[in-house]
Formats: sequence, structure tokens, C-alpha cells
Amino acid sequence: MRLHDTVLGALLVVLAAAFFGYTFTFPDMPGQKYGPSLFPRLIALGIAACGIVIAIRGWRSGLPWISISSPLRRLQGWLALLAMPLAVVFYLLVAERLGFLPTAALIVGGLCFWNGVRWWWAALTGVVVAGLVQWFFGTLMRVPLPRGWFMQLIAGG
Amino acid sequence: MSAIAAAAGLVFDPYVITVVVASAVFGLFVGAIPGLTATMATALLVPITFFMPPVPALGAIVTASAMAIFAGDIPGAMLRMPGTPASAAYTDESYAMARKGQLELNLGVNLVFSVAGGLVGVLFLIVAAPLLAEAALNFSSFEYFWLACLGLSCATLITASGRTRAVLAMLIGLGIGCVGMDPVAGYPRFTFGSVDLMSGISFIPTMIGAFAVSELLRGALASHDTRALVQEKVGALFRGIGDVTRRYWRNFLRGSVVGTAIGALPGAGADIAAWVSYAMAKRFSKEPEKFGTGHIEGVVESTSSNNSALGGAWMPALVFGIPGDSITAIVIGVLYMKGMNPGPTVFLQNPQFIYAVFMIFILANLLMLPLGWAAIKGAGKLLRAPRNILLPVILLFCIVGSFAITNSPYGILVMLIFGIVGWLMEENGIPVAPLVLGIVLGELLEQSFLTSMMKADGDPTAFFTRPIAGTLGALTLLVWVVMAWRALAGTRKTAA
Repeated sequence: MRLHDTVLGALLVVLAAAFFGYTFTFPDMPGQKYGPSLFPRLIALGIAACGIVIAIRGWRSGLPWISISSPLRRLQGWLALLAMPLAVVFYLLVAERLGFLPTAALIVGGLCFWNGVRWWWAALTGVVVAGLVQWFFGTLMRVPLPRGWFMQLIAGG
Repeated sequence: MSAIAAAAGLVFDPYVITVVVASAVFGLFVGAIPGLTATMATALLVPITFFMPPVPALGAIVTASAMAIFAGDIPGAMLRMPGTPASAAYTDESYAMARKGQLELNLGVNLVFSVAGGLVGVLFLIVAAPLLAEAALNFSSFEYFWLACLGLSCATLITASGRTRAVLAMLIGLGIGCVGMDPVAGYPRFTFGSVDLMSGISFIPTMIGAFAVSELLRGALASHDTRALVQEKVGALFRGIGDVTRRYWRNFLRGSVVGTAIGALPGAGADIAAWVSYAMAKRFSKEPEKFGTGHIEGVVESTSSNNSALGGAWMPALVFGIPGDSITAIVIGVLYMKGMNPGPTVFLQNPQFIYAVFMIFILANLLMLPLGWAAIKGAGKLLRAPRNILLPVILLFCIVGSFAITNSPYGILVMLIFGIVGWLMEENGIPVAPLVLGIVLGELLEQSFLTSMMKADGDPTAFFTRPIAGTLGALTLLVWVVMAWRALAGTRKTAA
């Protein structure tokens, strides 16, 4: 998904302006000419300059406002692309309540199934991988993976 | 001498050796799968190394990255798909050789010269790093300011994509580096009241997002048809290597030296080293017309080059804390996590760690010979690893790894955001490596600039009065002039 350079440049200038504007909320350093706002302002000016150069150079390119690569011209392409970010969002939303093991198993199993793996093989992969990761990170490395009601049910509290 | 003995004690420990061998296998696997890169291997390893002592942690990264850069050559020759971007320069050449029935010779050369090139890179690292560190002990904020400037400028000067976009990526990286407490006054900037953001955007989840998740997104769209292997069985690998060495030893030497130098330049790593060396091989060859038709000469030079670049990249990383490539950018994050702040004082305070890294580098390159041989022999199976299962499993590793660094969902959120940002950047031709360099060097640049300005009482000429600072400053300005000149020349060419 490629934006037309002029659109990209304009977006960058807007981003740079917001970045620059926000620095006015920073205090000055007493007795110093240079404070916390100096670097962000220089960076914002630089980003804006790059944005302008990209916008001007792209003006005559004749490309469409957004060029979509061929896999993304079909709905399946978008679903394939979004499946993984959505899985991460799913994890963020439910892992704390549901617990790591079932959430991870659902994500891995679900994505495998989505990728065309047979359902029983996908389910088995999900459970085994989630179990191994829980054992390695949760038990060996002592990462406080979310327990959720699943572990409470198993461990009884 | 006692430091070397202490280092040997640290390295030749059953636990460390097990970690090194396991990371070698992991690196070979990740490198050989098209679409999974050496940087991704490193980013995925970091959450695990988080729980290790410094030597095995660094050893795991050194070994996995060296193996991955070599293993990228295997699918290049067998499928015409580079396993990592570092093999892309000579993938067509390797594939053409394989089609001519020279697959064994090609892979044998790739293996042997990867090992040899890697060893040359380490040799330079061992000799040059302590010397540089001694010089760097006298560095003040002025020198560090110019070093950071020079690093950032080089990263944008040597780039495969457009220079404006590389500069843009670097600036965005510097902007991201501004989030959190400012390095001089300690004022929280762009934190929007979030406690998580006070110490800056968490670096490792950012790397996992930018280098691993964005690759997964690309992988979800790309088709990697691995059914069309050139041949199933690989025969004797080392036949004919002697002849190649006798004919092309100059290419090997030039490739290794150029690779190390490019690796040592901040921001340019193994992939650029391979492209430059391939072009040089063709330029100086007596038979340039054979290039592209399955000719070994360019392969010798560039496969030596990309592995030697790894050693080179560690020089500025260890001595100045300035990453030579995106892998060492992650290494610097790891060093800070382990309390071994990179810089010349590490050489004084913890010399045993530095020698241990050198030893593991040599060990990893020597291990590459048998393990790489095994990987090539088993390539038929390795390349058929089911991607539809692999990608979800890697995603789970990314989630858990990002969580493990911050112990909160904040790390996962950072990973997700930078995964999408990284994907969008690549789609729009904006390279990710300068962004990472900007994030890593932002604080050093700002801190050294503001400290220097305070010391000099606002007088900019003070940046040039110390001899080394003056030289580095002049070099930086020279790089800027070259960039401006090239930009102008480019504009004129398009206008004409």
C-alpha cells in the first residue's frame, strides 16, 4: 500500500507541525539558551523539509493517490494481512482475564487454521506451542504471564 | 593476560557452549527460511537472552547472526530466493550456477568463504577495537557529538533506497528517541502523562515490532513457493574449493576487507557490504562478461564480504556505543540491559567480557563449518518447513518476548504499533534501518550537543578546536557536502 508522494509529503508536514507545536508546552531551562524543546524543534523542521522535498518530487509522478499491491486488491489479501495484528489485539483484550495458555492456544491454533492447516492439526499445534511457551517463559524464565481464570481453575487460586 | 584467561573460563563453560550451539541451530534455521532475516533472529533472541548472564547473552546473538547470514545463501542457490537480504546481491548468480549443475560448488564456496570472511572480520575487530578504545578514552562530549553526527550521516549516505527517505527515517527515529525524560533537564517530553513512556519508548519491543512483526506482515502477503527446488540431494561440498581459492584469493581478501570496513560504518551492514563487493568484483574482474551467467568470482567476494561485515559492525558498537548495523543496534540495547554500557570504559572495567565476545565470534565461525554443512545437506527438508504454522508461532514469540521485557501489555502494544509502522514504511520505500539508528543515537546526540554547548558557553567554534573533534567535524561536514552535491546532481539529471 503505497501513498502518492505528495500525499505522503503533506502528511509528514502535518506530523512535523504537530510535533513542533507540542514543544511549546516544554519549559525553558533557567539560565540556558537551549532547553528540552530545541532538539524536537530541529527534528520537526527536518521532517517537514523532507516532506516538502518528497511532495514536490512526487508531484509529476502520475501515480494514483494510493497504489495497492496485487495481493491487497482482493478481500482475502486484506484478511491475511490483518489476521496477525487482530490476533495481537485479541491477546491484549482477553489474555489478562482468560489467562495466557488458552489465549495463546487460540491465537496459534486459529491462525494456523486460517492459513489452511487442517483443524485438528491446527488445534494440536496451538495447544502444544502454547504449553511449551508457558513452560519455557512462564516456568523456566519466570515471566509473569497472565494467569487468568484458566490457571486459577487449574491451580485452584 | 588474566583477562583472557578469565574470558576463556567464561566461554568454555558447558552452559555457554550449549547456548552457542542452540543459537547456531536457531540462526541457521531462521536464515535459511526466505522472509526471516538475521535481524529478526536477533530480535527474537533478545527476550530469551534477557534472562541470561552477559556472556551467553552476547554469545547467542553473535552466533545466531553469523549463522543466519550464511544460511541465507542456501535458498538463494536452491530456490532463487535470498534467505536474508544479505544474500540478495548474488542470489541470481548462485541460482544460475545451480541450474548449470554447480550447486555443490556454489554452496561449498558460500560455506567456506563465509567462515573465512567471518574470521577476517573478527581479526580486524580484535586488533582495532582495543586500539580505538584507547583513543576513545580521551573523548569528550565534542567528539561524541561528531561521532553521532557522522554515524547518522553515513547511515543515510550509504543506502539502497532514496536518500531523502533515509534521512526522513533517521529523523523520525530521532523524534521517537525524544519521547521520555530529556537527557539534560529531565523534563518528560511527549509522554502525555503515561508513566510507561517516562523512560522512553521501550527499545526491544520496538525492534521486535519493526524487524519481526513487519516481516510477518509482509510474509502473510508474499507467496514463498518452496516446491521448486533445483535438486533434492546435495553431493560433495568441498570438491573444487581448492581451485577456487587459488584462482580467486584476491577476491576473498578484498571482499573481507571491504566488508569489514562497510560493517564498521554506522548504519551499513551485511546487505550493503554484499552489494558493494559484488559490484567491485565485477568492476575489477578480467572476465566481467561472465557475471550473471553462473560465475563463482562475484560469489566468493560478496559471500566473504557479508560475513566479515558482522565483525566490523561490532567495532563502533563496542567502542563508542554507535551501532554498525541493525543487529548491533539491538546489541547495544542488550548491553545497556546488562549494565555494560558500551564505550571505551568497558574495555577497562570488563575486559574479560570483550575477550569473551571475541572468542565466541571465532568459535561461532568455526562451528559454522560442520553445522553449515549439515544445514546444506538437510536443506531439502529445512526449506520445506511449513510457513503456515511457522508464522503464527513466531507471532506468539514476538508477543511473549515483548511482554517479557516490560512485564506489562505496554510492550506488546509498542511491538504492534511498530510492526505496522515498519510495514507501512517499507511499503512506501522508507528504510527501517536508519530509523533504528536514530532511536539509538538520539539521546547521545542531544546530550553531547547540549553538554558541549554549556561547556563552550554557546560558542560553536569550540566544536572544532580539539584535534580529534575537529577532524571528525570536518569529516562529517565533508559527508554532508557529498550528500548535497549528489542531491543537486540528481535534481539536475531529472531536470535534463
